Amino acid sequence: MATTTNYSWTTPDDTALVKDGASAIRSLGTSIDTTTKNLNPSTTLGDIEYRSSTANTNTRLGIGTTGQVLSVSGGVPAWATPTSGSMTLLSTTALSGTTVTISSINQTYNSLMIFLLNPTWGTGTAQLWLRAQSSSDIEGSGGAMWNSGASTATASISGTNINVTATGNSNSAGKACALWTINNYASTTAFKPFSISSGDDTKGSFQGGVIATNTAISSIELANQFGYTFNGGSIVIYGVK
Amino acid sequence: MAKSTRPMVRIHNSETDEIIDREMNDSEFAQYQANKVEQENKQAEADAKEAAKLAILDRIGLTADELKTILG
Repeated sequence: MATTTNYSWTTPDDTALVKDGASAIRSLGTSIDTTTKNLNPSTTLGDIEYRSSTANTNTRLGIGTTGQVLSVSGGVPAWATPTSGSMTLLSTTALSGTTVTISSINQTYNSLMIFLLNPTWGTGTAQLWLRAQSSSDIEGSGGAMWNSGASTATASISGTNINVTATGNSNSAGKACALWTINNYASTTAFKPFSISSGDDTKGSFQGGVIATNTAISSIELANQFGYTFNGGSIVIYGVK
Repeated sequence: MAKSTRPMVRIHNSETDEIIDREMNDSEFAQYQANKVEQENKQAEADAKEAAKLAILDRIGLTADELKTILG
């Protein structure tokens, strides 16, 4: 019996005597119908098809939801919600006491962005110190503190402290600020690179390094050089995906 | 209410949003005192060094700004 080139539908041979023409046509039509349906299994608006593991048989993929994109899952097409970056407010802490600790920091983000805003305290001039996770060792480079284009002091990263105001910030100025970014902070197998830009109304600096611990950072701390009591300002923490 | 004799610390649990203000415990207070002494000593040392510099400048009749100009 002769067959068609691509789908092997059965047709009468050229020399065959067609005894039952209607049956032969029906048989060929059924084959065509089956093949067509296998190639086009769509049933619903938005459906698309892709080749299955069986030759000449496609698989129907129903439309995804708004915002989804066509992706690949398990070697076949699939609709998926795209992952995107985001920044989430984790906490806002008003400064009070001689040290301020923010604990139980959410561990599901890639990085932390920590803003120190306008700290004030009752007495004197002091450096401001930021620390991580039970005073983890911090290895890094302190940048020069710049004042009108001239280096006037050296910011420092020493032991467990990041000093964000090299020569001390006035108690009532409330103008010091810092942005501390800690990457990979939730890792339990790697050190955490960080950078920090900081300054006040007279000087500014950029410093960087690593927090030399494999322990995840779940708390940070603010203190000042002489243990003065904070009476204003805040620490705001964002988690970044 | 008894008057607070030790510095206060603030601990903010960012998960529950609970804020605890309490006095330093023994180990925190010991660390606080040691740190304060160390920092005050460092500051006194830096102040003394600065005063010595100024005294030298005074002897040779220059101000700190004039020295900066010369070195700059």
